[in-house]
Amino acid sequence: MSRQIKAKKSAWQKKPLHKRIGIILAHAVLALFAFLWLIPIFWVILTSFRATKGSYSSTFIPTAFSLDNYIKLFTDFSVFNFPQMLLNTLIVAAATCVLSTFFVISVAYTLSRLRFKSRKPLMNVAMIINLFPGFMSMIANYYIFKMLGWTNGPLLRLAMIAVYSGGAGLGYHIAKGFFDTIPIALDEAAMLDGCTKWNVLKKIIMPLSKPIIVFTLLNSFAGPFKDFMLAKILCGPNKDYFTVAVGMYQMLEREYIDQWFCSFAAAAVIISIPVASLFLTTQKYYSIGFSGSVKG
Amino acid sequence: MKKKAYNSGTGMLTALRKGSLWVWLSALIWGLGNLVKRQFVKGMLFLAAEAGVVLFTVQSGLYNLDKLTTLGIVAQQKVWNDEKSIFEYVDGDRSLNILLYGIITLAIVVFGLLLLRASVKSAYSAEQSWKKHGRAPTFEQDIKALLDERLQFSLLSLPILGVIAFILLPLIFMSSMAFTNYSVLDSKLVLFDWVGLKNFARTLSMNGSLGSTFWSVLGWTLVWALAATFSNYILGMLLALFINWKEIRLKKFWRFTFVLTVAVPHFVTLLIMRQMLQPNGAINVLLQNMGWIKEPLPFFTDTMWARITVILINIWVGVPYTLLQTTGILQSIPQELYESARVDGANPFVTFFKITLPYMLFVTTPYLITSFTGNINNFNVIYLTSTGMPRAVGSTAGDTDLLITWLYKLTIDNQYYDVGAVIGIMTFVTLSIASLLTFRFSGSYRNEEGFR
Amino acid sequence: MSKKLTALLLALCLLLGTTAAFADGAESFTLRVWTPSEDQNPDLGAWVNTLCDEFNAAHPEWDITFEFGVSSESDAKKLVPRDMEAAADVFLFGSTGLETLCQANALTEWGGKYMKYVQENYPETLVNCLIYADGLYGVPITTDTYFMYYDKSVFTEEDVLSLDTMLTKGKVAFPLGNGYYLAAFYLANGCTFFGVDGKDRAAGIQLGGEKGVDVTNTLVDLVKNENFIVAEPSDAIGMMREGNCAAYICGTWQAAQTKEVLGDNFGVAVLPSVMIDGVSCQLRPFTSAKAVGVKSTTEHPVAALELACFLASYDAQKAHYEKRGYVPCQNELIKEMANDPICMVDAKTVSEVALARASYTEFGYYWSPAESMGNEIRDGIVTHENAAEKTETFTQAVNNPGI
Repeated sequence: MSRQIKAKKSAWQKKPLHKRIGIILAHAVLALFAFLWLIPIFWVILTSFRATKGSYSSTFIPTAFSLDNYIKLFTDFSVFNFPQMLLNTLIVAAATCVLSTFFVISVAYTLSRLRFKSRKPLMNVAMIINLFPGFMSMIANYYIFKMLGWTNGPLLRLAMIAVYSGGAGLGYHIAKGFFDTIPIALDEAAMLDGCTKWNVLKKIIMPLSKPIIVFTLLNSFAGPFKDFMLAKILCGPNKDYFTVAVGMYQMLEREYIDQWFCSFAAAAVIISIPVASLFLTTQKYYSIGFSGSVKG
Repeated sequence: MKKKAYNSGTGMLTALRKGSLWVWLSALIWGLGNLVKRQFVKGMLFLAAEAGVVLFTVQSGLYNLDKLTTLGIVAQQKVWNDEKSIFEYVDGDRSLNILLYGIITLAIVVFGLLLLRASVKSAYSAEQSWKKHGRAPTFEQDIKALLDERLQFSLLSLPILGVIAFILLPLIFMSSMAFTNYSVLDSKLVLFDWVGLKNFARTLSMNGSLGSTFWSVLGWTLVWALAATFSNYILGMLLALFINWKEIRLKKFWRFTFVLTVAVPHFVTLLIMRQMLQPNGAINVLLQNMGWIKEPLPFFTDTMWARITVILINIWVGVPYTLLQTTGILQSIPQELYESARVDGANPFVTFFKITLPYMLFVTTPYLITSFTGNINNFNVIYLTSTGMPRAVGSTAGDTDLLITWLYKLTIDNQYYDVGAVIGIMTFVTLSIASLLTFRFSGSYRNEEGFR
Repeated sequence: MSKKLTALLLALCLLLGTTAAFADGAESFTLRVWTPSEDQNPDLGAWVNTLCDEFNAAHPEWDITFEFGVSSESDAKKLVPRDMEAAADVFLFGSTGLETLCQANALTEWGGKYMKYVQENYPETLVNCLIYADGLYGVPITTDTYFMYYDKSVFTEEDVLSLDTMLTKGKVAFPLGNGYYLAAFYLANGCTFFGVDGKDRAAGIQLGGEKGVDVTNTLVDLVKNENFIVAEPSDAIGMMREGNCAAYICGTWQAAQTKEVLGDNFGVAVLPSVMIDGVSCQLRPFTSAKAVGVKSTTEHPVAALELACFLASYDAQKAHYEKRGYVPCQNELIKEMANDPICMVDAKTVSEVALARASYTEFGYYWSPAESMGNEIRDGIVTHENAAEKTETFTQAVNNPGI
């Protein structure tokens, strides 16, 4: 261990001076850039601990700190019931991630492995549907659910789950890229032994696909936390089924912003923690889609 | 490796041409061909489906389609009841419901036609199978096939159903509004009519406020998409290269800090950004307190500033993704290429332009295309930060509005649903043209030989 | 033992008999009621829940079960027409959404004895806000207007009569970039929003001509004044907390916080006057009404109308003021509460100064160009040289649907 440190030290000292200065400068620039990059995040955290209420502050760093904003979220239910909204979001997110993953994996596997006449046309249709602006279907979805009778009461949860996961099959690209990298020789060996394609999927492909399944699960879990438009349109007057995004967006309306702005920041910090940790755990899979296709 | 030819079955017309009378009858009575060849379960299923479709058509389908042509004409009636001192109301037609039911009926009709086609094909294949093997596949054999040769059927059916029910059908529903006058103008919210292509003509004209607003917003949308996509891509790549430079320590830590910003949900960070960049917001307050500026900086109050600010905010939001992807690719570029380049005496600039850049562009072209289309539809970054302003374009749009934020304002804020639907369709057309062009362009670029 | 049993049985029969007698003839049904969430919150007194229970008790001929939903007054105009079958029978709505609701055939018209009741017990301005196509469609429950909060230690009661005097003594915040407030200046000098009384749809929004240009010029000068701050009420109260602002324009929704900040120096006044082209003109805010409405296709119109009247009655509005600070608008209650400064200022604004805001859809064309214009004045893009031209463009844009 000490030999390595000694080796590093001597390597450093071997470098010419201008190179050493260059490296230190580079690190300094990077550090400054990173600091500026994170300023909004710092500000949210600082604001969530600010003691004076209101959306305006004449100083960047608060003059007084307190935990009141967090406490208010969990005790003041006059306008927003934050714990209930959090629970609603968790329920919807859990069901959505399971359903979405099932859809995505099914579609991705089918398009990657199986060959049938309508394969290419389906991929083209999927691409074309993706070109339409997302929320053109939002209002229309409300009317369809109204027709089904899912817009009141507990069936509202079903409606939200349906709308978050219903179109999940269209987002198959990363998963498909992953499946493309699994050598087809495995499939063929199994089928020579007499396996049906379903068994190949179940017994051979699934165990190998743990990374991509985890990635899809976590990705679709974060979805309901981020959406503020669709949930609001679906819920309407049913306040008991609001998700956190809807409530937070409402906190910035003119009647509430003065009392709730700092609590908005607090709520932002609270929901960022699960979403952030999910993202950080899965970030390495984002590059799988590309490095995979290069290797393959 | 022998390419397995997949069994797709024969087409419906071939089946009708070559099949017996039973095949023709299967078009009228679904499942007849199967029943005759002793495929009882399959035949009964087809019959049941036909019964369902016919029942629906008779009960409500025909009524819905009839109403669809006029979109309803009966208005709400009210009668004065003097004894109770109240007005009593009888509800009339609501065009929106009629439109929805009509479209769903059309969808069921299409579904019925597909079932008819399936019945004919199935009857034919049963016949062929009878001729070849003396018997047709039993139900158990069919189920087995669903898990083997026809696995795609069982795996895709639910996802496709989901897409049709919650994406395709709503899309068609909204798009059909473009051909009506469903709007708050002229009080056409409860009862509205078909107007054909009138709305499109108004949108595409160069005169008229709608047309000029449209072209203006379209122009900025295209400029924005190009600027946003390329700025993210290049800056992300440069940052990835910088961090990837051999001499930088703590690579993982730097990457972690830059990616952290994406971990917080977008709508939160964007709303925070809006607060911070107001004339009385945190950034201006800070700069004024430090004495660097006297007047607040017009981040969102001057058009040019606002446009640049949203592009910068988009960089802040999008570079982390680009960073991740390009880092992954950078790390998979074979080192031999760099070694041989160094042996040949090339300096960093040359290696970048001759090796790194072409490699990256080659691999990430599909990503660039999806990124471009994604940016045209990038709602959050514009709507939550500048809200489309600072200056109005016409009475409904602003000068940082994209087609999609304008669409939102038209439908949700102003209730001009017909024009909103037209804008939605125009966005789609723009994107299709853009995608087609970029695919053509990238196709000629993707010259694998030239790379090697 | 058997005696006790018989006695118990007799008592039971008697009990059942009497309850049956009471229940006999009581019609039982459900009424859906939508209000903002604070009105249903037990921490804030659960205004609507308490009142509905009282209503039920006061009407033994009905046995009503209430279903509550949450919809703010401004959301009602979107939520009710969207799904008429599931919509509330009785709901709170803002009168600015009256045309939307009426065109969607969502509201019951009030006639006969109910119409008389409303006309006799509520101020005329507010009742007029609820009239559409010569029919009355609701009962007012509070006003929706704005005035000025000020720091008594900086301004006296004389000072707050004139904006120019105020600007010599302390900082005043005015949200110019918001059309809702910007209109006060234009209305002050005689520009019109749909005619002088706000009821002439064909007249459109007339903000041009000499009158409009004079206002624009005045605004251009005002903005250059150091003590005139352009800020939204939510920011202005923050500035007040830090001592950077001594007066700001707002409605009742920040009254409690302002009282907290200013304490004994809390002052509230009608909007001041401002000198425009040498003439002192009173700034005129908009007013509209928040009202209780009844769904047109409700299955129990009589009960719903009675409930609506009950929710806007003397006692109900008194409770509403105590629990939520909703300024009362019932004629007797207004007289009684004249001592309360906010109620007094509000009543004075509504009866003497404000313009009833029309609910016409054409009003919607105003907001976007107004925001633009207000921001341009604030940023100094509008100058004395181009004031006339800018005002002309402005008044053209606000009458144009843009599509």
